[in-house]
Amino acid sequence: MAQSTIGIATRSRTPTKLGIVTAISFLVMAILPFVVGSFQISLLSKLLLFGALAISLDLVWGFTGILSFAHGVFFTLGGYAMAYYLKLNLSAENNTYGGSLPDFMVWNGLTELPWFIAPLKYFPIAAIAMVLVPAAFAYLIGWFIFRSKVSGVYITIITLAISSALTTFFISQQAYTGGTNGITDVSKLSIFGINIPPNGLYWIILLFTTFVLVGSWWLTQSNFGLILRSIKENEKRISYLGYDVASFKIFIWTLSAGIAGIAGGLFVPLNRFISPVYLAVAFGTQVVIWVAIGGRGTLIGPLVAAILLGQIQNSAERVTQDWQLVVGVLLLIVVLFIPDGLVGTVQKLFVRKQKPVSTKQPAISSN
Amino acid sequence: MYAHLFSFFYLAQEAVAEETAQAFSLVALSNQLINGIGVVGILLLTGLGLAITFGVMRIINLAHGEFIMLGAYATFWMQSTFGMDLLLTIPFSFLITAAIGALVELTIIRRLYGRPLETLLATWGLSIVLQGIIKLIFTAQLKYVKSPPYISGNLTLLKDAQGSPAIAISYYRLFIVTIAIALLVLTGYLLNKTDLGRQVRAVTQNRDMAKCLGVNTSLIDMLTFAYGCGLAGIAGTVISSLKSVSPPMGQDYLVDAWMTVVTGGVDKLVGVLAGAFLIGESSSGIAYLLNDPTARVIVLAAVIILIRYKPEGLFTIQKRG
Repeated sequence: MAQSTIGIATRSRTPTKLGIVTAISFLVMAILPFVVGSFQISLLSKLLLFGALAISLDLVWGFTGILSFAHGVFFTLGGYAMAYYLKLNLSAENNTYGGSLPDFMVWNGLTELPWFIAPLKYFPIAAIAMVLVPAAFAYLIGWFIFRSKVSGVYITIITLAISSALTTFFISQQAYTGGTNGITDVSKLSIFGINIPPNGLYWIILLFTTFVLVGSWWLTQSNFGLILRSIKENEKRISYLGYDVASFKIFIWTLSAGIAGIAGGLFVPLNRFISPVYLAVAFGTQVVIWVAIGGRGTLIGPLVAAILLGQIQNSAERVTQDWQLVVGVLLLIVVLFIPDGLVGTVQKLFVRKQKPVSTKQPAISSN
Repeated sequence: MYAHLFSFFYLAQEAVAEETAQAFSLVALSNQLINGIGVVGILLLTGLGLAITFGVMRIINLAHGEFIMLGAYATFWMQSTFGMDLLLTIPFSFLITAAIGALVELTIIRRLYGRPLETLLATWGLSIVLQGIIKLIFTAQLKYVKSPPYISGNLTLLKDAQGSPAIAISYYRLFIVTIAIALLVLTGYLLNKTDLGRQVRAVTQNRDMAKCLGVNTSLIDMLTFAYGCGLAGIAGTVISSLKSVSPPMGQDYLVDAWMTVVTGGVDKLVGVLAGAFLIGESSSGIAYLLNDPTARVIVLAAVIILIRYKPEGLFTIQKRG
């Protein structure tokens, strides 16, 4: 861990520095739409959302030690909630069959909107569902597995099974979910009748990701974060100290799923479709890879890794077809040789450089 | 790329397609259950390698599916260049995948003993790398392996009034089950009755003590892992002619193999057989009553519940912590 285990020492120093860096990069990112093209903006919006998703996984994996391949599932559940809203608000002339019923439901012989989808027509309900559905699902899973003797690796295997089962389920329920194609050709996002342009969406996403980053950072610096980290280090001891470990795990797991759900919900108006591809284990793995490469427990690391890898992938795919191979090799290298990830390692170097300065030659640091 | 999700159901699907119009009938159900034996065979074959790498060595190997894929490609390569019969390629594909497994153990797994989550990540990275390399060599196109011509046709168990077969099972499925059980017995023999197996068990039970008594633990580790990978290779060879061979094919078998191993428990090899039988037959049965995706969801949910209450598997002896 690059940060010292007890928060007090870092609390006095880091916030100002970190705050300034965050504020500057936020401003730079906010000005970007005036500088770069619309393609780059839509790519960046996507990568920021992936970054937020990676941060949410970092909360449970990097801090609490629960490795999950199911974060794509929470992301997609939020995405479907938003996709139904956008699909149901297609104006009649844009809809393939004129009526208000989505095209895939017509194909599959539904004559009226199922009761559990109908309320999603209204934005507030869709927005709540976007958070609540993934969070409730996560709570259910968490409540079921964390209150048992199931240990780390088995939890990971359970998340694999959940992701696999849900993918199959969503593909099989064609009439309700659009099957393999998912929900496509959705309308553009408009909130209470106001159309949101791509740049506006970008700013919303930027705000959301910044909020997630800062919020997660604040949470992990608090006493609560300290307990989470202690659970990762020594679960037994924490429970002997009288903390109800399972409750902490369930809380952070649910919170993380809620964040992932919002990221998924914002992803749909950008991507213009959602499909079971994002439910599958492959996408869940992608999230795990961002966190591993960026650095577990660093919060900013996963975000940086998601943006960096996405940008590299975007330019590399013009040259080579074998991007996945590069990612695999990267992951192997990181696991074997750089266990702290990119940002974690940089932080370590930073700390190591500072220490001798402060103890031996304090005069040098003044400038 | 990940469209093949119905791994252990495609066999069952063939059978269901013929009888979709029929209402519930005992003949159709028993046909389905007998065909489920083919699924059991595949689960057993794919799970056996994991029972070694996970059960004996406690390595979380997410690249297991890719070793199956490597075995299938080894067979494809030998068949297309030397025109070898599928049965003849089995020992070679065992050796090839075992050698690759040994190499992987030496370079990657060895550094990560005692860190299960890191091992899990590294093997996942390895699985991406292996898929990428195979894609570079053989391209992403689907390849087809010829099954041996002398193992074809169906064994008819029951004929209906018109004399056409009502309950039948293909010889190839029987062949899969036979190979799987033979390998299970062989592995059990190696593990329990030979000197090498005794050393393997000694290393699992108490590594330091085994070392003190002169067992070359790192060699044993390498051999055990290589053997597990070799078993996956054999599974790949046998499965290769059922479906097409492609780089992501291993993914299909990974989750199912894990479910098999986890259900049965890994303390005893018989657990794998029990797990394969339970999962294979229950999914065939449910698939007949409802449909394939529902069966998969129900079986996966059941396995999750099982892990929750008995993470050590159904067929293990309760130990004192």
